Amino acid sequence: MSTQYVPGLEGIVAAQTAISLVDGANGRLVYRGYVIADLAEEMSFEEVAHLLWYGKLPTRAELDALTLELAGSRALTPAATATLNALPKDTDPMDVLRSVVSVQGVEHRLEKPTIPLAIHATASFPTILAAFHRRSLGLEPVKPRADLAQAANYLYMLNGKESPPELVRALNTYLVLLADHGMNASTFTARVIASTDSDLASCLVGAIGALKGPAHGGAPSQVMDQLELIGTPENAEPWMREARKRKVRFMGFGHRVYRVYDPRAKILKAMCERMNPDFFALASKVEEIALRILHEEHPERPQSTNVEFYSAGVLQAIGLPKEYFTPTFASSRAAGWTAHVLEQVANNRLIRPQSEYVGPEPHKPVPLAERG
Amino acid sequence: MPEFSPGLEGVVAAETAISEVDGANGRLIYRGGYLIEDLAAVATFEETAYLLWNGELPDKAELEALRLQMAAARKLKASAKGALSSMDPATDPMDTLRTVISAQGATKTLTKPTLDEAIALTAVVPTIVAAAHRRSKGAEPVEPRDDLGHAANLLWMMEGADAVPERVHWLDTYLVLLADHGLNASTFTARVIASTGSDLTSCVVGAIAALKGPAHGGATYAARTMLDKIGSADNADTWLRDAHAQHARFPGFGHRVYRTYDPRAKILREMAKTAAPELYTTAAHTEEVALQILHEAHPERPNATNVDFWASVVLTGVGIPKDLFTCMFATSRIAGWTAHVLESMADLRIIRPASVWKGPQPGSKPLPIGSR
Repeated sequence: MSTQYVPGLEGIVAAQTAISLVDGANGRLVYRGYVIADLAEEMSFEEVAHLLWYGKLPTRAELDALTLELAGSRALTPAATATLNALPKDTDPMDVLRSVVSVQGVEHRLEKPTIPLAIHATASFPTILAAFHRRSLGLEPVKPRADLAQAANYLYMLNGKESPPELVRALNTYLVLLADHGMNASTFTARVIASTDSDLASCLVGAIGALKGPAHGGAPSQVMDQLELIGTPENAEPWMREARKRKVRFMGFGHRVYRVYDPRAKILKAMCERMNPDFFALASKVEEIALRILHEEHPERPQSTNVEFYSAGVLQAIGLPKEYFTPTFASSRAAGWTAHVLEQVANNRLIRPQSEYVGPEPHKPVPLAERG
Repeated sequence: MPEFSPGLEGVVAAETAISEVDGANGRLIYRGGYLIEDLAAVATFEETAYLLWNGELPDKAELEALRLQMAAARKLKASAKGALSSMDPATDPMDTLRTVISAQGATKTLTKPTLDEAIALTAVVPTIVAAAHRRSKGAEPVEPRDDLGHAANLLWMMEGADAVPERVHWLDTYLVLLADHGLNASTFTARVIASTGSDLTSCVVGAIAALKGPAHGGATYAARTMLDKIGSADNADTWLRDAHAQHARFPGFGHRVYRTYDPRAKILREMAKTAAPELYTTAAHTEEVALQILHEAHPERPNATNVDFWASVVLTGVGIPKDLFTCMFATSRIAGWTAHVLESMADLRIIRPASVWKGPQPGSKPLPIGSR
């Protein structure tokens, strides 16, 4: 029997999962049983990816093996490199990622997704992004370094030199924080694609396409754009009140699931305060005013700051250009996407919901000659 | 919160006027309220696409305008050509399509889906599919012709010669029949991606990725492979009973929605008699035996022949190699995908379902690596 149409499938259970839990009521994000705050500043991205893929934190030997496998999977195939070089230099890096992840995966055809394939795909994201970033600047790509971890190597490939440890550490924390987040739209996309028995690269290109949307992962650069328009803390209130009259949305606020402060935003906010004081001075003022205005308009709504708001300041402090905020999000979430695909495939059923027809009742078509 | 329905079976995920699968009565209704059998008798693929996009069949002038617009959009951009020529000619053509359409639609900044873009992406799919086919044969791609219809031009680009009108007609009818089908997995994927505010190319790339799965668009290939293995009508009984004893599924049979004979399968079955008389004999006998076996095993299930079974026979009659079957499906269904995305733009709301937590009790403290 059909249930009633629920716009956005809000509250409809689409999967059972043991990968992550967004406990919105209590403001908790849980990876495989661990609360994000306990992982974020302690664990490497590799350890967390291991946790998501294998269901447990790695021993030293397991971590070494995973680190080695990731490092060994960073190179692009010749076809992927050629595709990357064929795209115009000013292409949206998300479109580059979508196209090059697609070609990077073709040798696996219709292979069933596995952990080695997940590792292989996740390892390639930073290489694609760094190579295209350098290409857009007219620079040669820098070869990945096997002795560097995911975060350090990404910055190395972007900049052609090693980054200071505090920046590497900050990027690592960002990658840990964003690695998974329940049944969000991109993860759900990946699971729908996996449910047809399609391959892992197919799941990933779909997820990248979904993450690109401004209502999902495409907003952090818009946070930056909005802060740039506001300019100074003093201008925050007049600008925002005026903007609200024109129905302008405040970027980086609101979330369907959290009813209290997003635990990731809390960690990123503290990092911003440390790493990016200018951004923090403006952003914290904008946050204060935004929450106040939103509360005035909808006192019943829990209008909390979301992860994208302070992500922008952290990624800026790390030195990433704003067009690379969403793709860097993707490079983290690739771990979660692939973990979800593996979970879906282990207990698969085609995801094929129903629709409700709202068109006219059947009648005969008029042949072309008699139309018009 | 409602219970978990695996595969979202019975869950209504959208309201739509694009098409309706009336499974109980074995009817497929396209936008405007036309039964598929009525439409297939009078309309070409271009007319059908126009209908799905605009809500009404075109008059002569409107159809001519669409033809011109599609013909003008058949060429690949330099970047898409670059992606195409970088790929190994032996690549799965669905992977080539996924990659090259991603490159073709790559842009500098995010754009909202438009009808013009839907027309352009639909028009260019045959160019990619035909080029992938010719490359796999070691032949140079053939440039599109703007004096030919969609189906005729596809065969022209594949073969470099004009196809006889019968073959064009069979292919065109196939394209009409497959152009939309309610909220199937690939269409649903496109709508989920659209719901984030992403661009049309991302939606189409994700849909191609989902269609690739053997449980979805890959079933036509699987049905033909089964017919190849059976080889001749007199072998059908033995082969199918053996396969059934080994718990093999029969591709081309069963559908989650239809409870009676799929109306598209009925039309294709009739066409198959003239399009592929020899294979028809084997297929008709295979169908008879398969339905009998399935009925014996599950008398309560409506195990009707689905569209994939007879599509595999008709496409064979058209002269399409079986490794291009899923691409043919995509060539047609992109009209539906894009129509659904455009429809969803009117009331965009992010599709973000819930999940049920099946993992360990949250809150255990992670052990430091030395103690694991």
